[in-house]
Amino acid sequence: MTATLFIQSLLAGITNGFVYGLIGLGISVIYRGTRVVNAMQGDFSLVAGIVLYLCSEHLGYPILPSFLAGVLAGAVVGWTVEIFFVRPTRRRGGNEESFLLVTLGGAFAASAAALLFFGRDSRPIRGLGGDNLLDVFDATIRVHAVWLIALSIAVVVALRLFYTRATIGKAIMAASIDPDGATIIGINVPMMRTLTFVLGGAVGGIAGVLISPLITVNYEMGLLLTLKGFTAAIIGTLGNPFGAVAGGLMLGIVEALAIVFVSSGYKDVISMTFLILIMIAVPNGIFARRGRAGG
Amino acid sequence: MAAAGVLALAVIPLLASREVVDLLVFTALYSIAGIGVTFLLGQCGIISLAENVFYGIGAYATAYVTTALGWHWLVALVIGMAIGGAVATILAWPVLRLSGHFLALATLALATIGHVLFLEWDWITGGTLGIGGVAQISFFGCVLNTPQRFYYLAWIVVGIVFWLYSNLLDSRAGCAMRAMRDRPDAAMVLGIDIHQLKVKVFVLSAMVGSLAGSLFASYVTFVSVDSFGIERAVSFLLIAVVGGAQTIIGTIFGAAFVTLAPNLLSRLGDVHPLLFALALVLTVIFLPQGIGGFLQQQIRRLFELSRLGGDA
Amino acid sequence: MSENVLMRVDGISKSFFGLSVLRCVTLDIAQGTITGLIGPNGAGKSTLFNIVSGFLTPDAGDVIYKGKSIARTSVTARSRLGIMRTFQTPQIFDHMTVRENLVVGCHKLSRSGFLSNVLGLRSSRRELAKMNMIAAGALNRFDLKGMADVRAGDLTTGQQRLLELARGTLATPDLLCLDEPSSGLNADESRQLRLMLEHLNREGTTIFLVSHDMDLMEVASTVNVLCFGEIIAQGNFSSVKVNPLVREAYLGA
Repeated sequence: MTATLFIQSLLAGITNGFVYGLIGLGISVIYRGTRVVNAMQGDFSLVAGIVLYLCSEHLGYPILPSFLAGVLAGAVVGWTVEIFFVRPTRRRGGNEESFLLVTLGGAFAASAAALLFFGRDSRPIRGLGGDNLLDVFDATIRVHAVWLIALSIAVVVALRLFYTRATIGKAIMAASIDPDGATIIGINVPMMRTLTFVLGGAVGGIAGVLISPLITVNYEMGLLLTLKGFTAAIIGTLGNPFGAVAGGLMLGIVEALAIVFVSSGYKDVISMTFLILIMIAVPNGIFARRGRAGG
Repeated sequence: MAAAGVLALAVIPLLASREVVDLLVFTALYSIAGIGVTFLLGQCGIISLAENVFYGIGAYATAYVTTALGWHWLVALVIGMAIGGAVATILAWPVLRLSGHFLALATLALATIGHVLFLEWDWITGGTLGIGGVAQISFFGCVLNTPQRFYYLAWIVVGIVFWLYSNLLDSRAGCAMRAMRDRPDAAMVLGIDIHQLKVKVFVLSAMVGSLAGSLFASYVTFVSVDSFGIERAVSFLLIAVVGGAQTIIGTIFGAAFVTLAPNLLSRLGDVHPLLFALALVLTVIFLPQGIGGFLQQQIRRLFELSRLGGDA
Repeated sequence: MSENVLMRVDGISKSFFGLSVLRCVTLDIAQGTITGLIGPNGAGKSTLFNIVSGFLTPDAGDVIYKGKSIARTSVTARSRLGIMRTFQTPQIFDHMTVRENLVVGCHKLSRSGFLSNVLGLRSSRRELAKMNMIAAGALNRFDLKGMADVRAGDLTTGQQRLLELARGTLATPDLLCLDEPSSGLNADESRQLRLMLEHLNREGTTIFLVSHDMDLMEVASTVNVLCFGEIIAQGNFSSVKVNPLVREAYLGA
């Protein structure tokens, strides 16, 4: 096995890692704001990818507006999910199980709908910088992948600023930590929750438009992406957006190493086993702080 | 009322068409696998999406043992259940230490792993080509090669499995389970080993899943990977949610829904996965106690009304 | 360790977030006594209680029960050793009836395994019938007659406390740990509780009692006072009441 092959795999792993990190980011954002584990996160990306495909390949619009359309689609789906799936469940006294079942159902519905309307084929999409490649120590990486990494980091930074500086960001945090207290000081808690889902949907949308040119869109990608994104989010501590990206990187590299040293068919087995091991061994993630019960 | 139901069940194959009886056989098979998931959800609060793995283990065990090894169907069935139980024990011990959404997603991960392994280990499973010519079940020379004949075996097994589960419900372990579902801390303090109990229920559900899978393989005589993927896992979960996780009888309603709905909608094309997913969502929101629970509620209400009417 | 110390809390320390909650806490619970723990809010009583009952592990120190170290033993294992606890809000099984709650209390008295339960073996059924009988007996003893089929979640707080206590004592624990048992009770119910505790103690149950309620604390033969994570006084109730350190801790500096 040559050094070039190794570096190539590593680059692929890092790129995928940022992909998983972005999904995990969306999951963490939504968890942070609403305490709901969103099993549909990967499907937000799926929808965004489909919209991107429709706009740029099918209708022939230029790349940038198509990207934005995809992100917007993600945000809209996020909004829809909160209003039509999560709110009614919450209104009827749902517990943790119910929310998970509802979003799982949504996830399966999304992929079934994709199957119905677009069939089983994978569709390729052009990316940023077209098919150009960059050379890294004799290995190559697509320009689009570099964009992906850069934009992921930008999203993380933007989110951090949003939660710490922007009034709305802080209001969302308040509504999540103490809904009753937040209501008393005039924060519209239900709206904050909806906003969180919109934000999570937008992040999912960004992930979707960035990912799709690299892996081609097909109806099954939602659930697997969600599981891997969830892995990333857990490693990095659920609710910590920066941690999700770090976790994603770890997962991406582990996966790349697995492909190199084991085989590509078992790639998903290894990453799913990794997920289970992480949940058992480090359920609070690497950025966790141990809390105390009152009193 | 129960006696009437049993009588109806016994008589149907003599009157109904082959297609209907075939559907009812599948309803029975799904009831057997479904009760495992129902019980886990209703009594232990565990969302399990891994039942398809054990269904597959049972099916492939029967398929492989009767074709490649040429052994008797009963031996294959027992081997399938043993493997299912063993795998479940090994997996459950670490995994069931998780709870809530971690556990649910872990079972989904297991389902994914299982599906990939079924695909990759094609020297046992035949991969996408599958295994054909699976031996059919025969009792004393009578081969169960028609829906009508298999129907009786399937529903007798349903009766046995349901009886076992109702024993469990009404026992010391059953009480312990309800306690641990309500207040796990208090249950621990009273000496209930929550983890051990969850593992046992999980292993039981795996074994009935394998049983259903073995019967399935003997019925359709051809198994392939497509039957054991995530879609199947969702169907099994749906049986529990739609049928009502708190009742045993509700499982039959859930299984009937899962069997009949795709069939009724087949004219509309590939739409049943979407319908299933929406059914899951709508049931969770609007009918959280499922059909079984809903009916139980209505019957209870009827009794109370009639009692009040009698006093008036 | 002397013969009649049932449980010794030995040099227990615990921190959260780098904040020290318990500092080298030592106290003895003598066999056959009612031992109390009091202290102002935030003193660390709940943390100590959770360490004693197995819901938390200490950072340093040990819990020694009947001569054996149990600091790392699980809650379920401690239950099997004869340690029982109640909770600040009564943790009765809301969706089960009063009778069923009591039946769960008999869990440790019975032994039928999972498999025999599934198969519906006669031994398993007979054992369940016996558990039901014991539960019925408890209904009378604890003044819960006529409420056998009431849903536990529908009871008043006082009744729930009673149920929790009844359920916890069916398997005759050696050490009964009570966490604020009189909170939510009116004066009558508190008095009833006090009588019950004295009765249980007379019958041989050692009791470890954490409470704010000074009237209830009078039943304790030894009282430990915890303040900011340290034991500042130990002794019988009357001497602790007049201890200047204790008065300062409660009334403020």
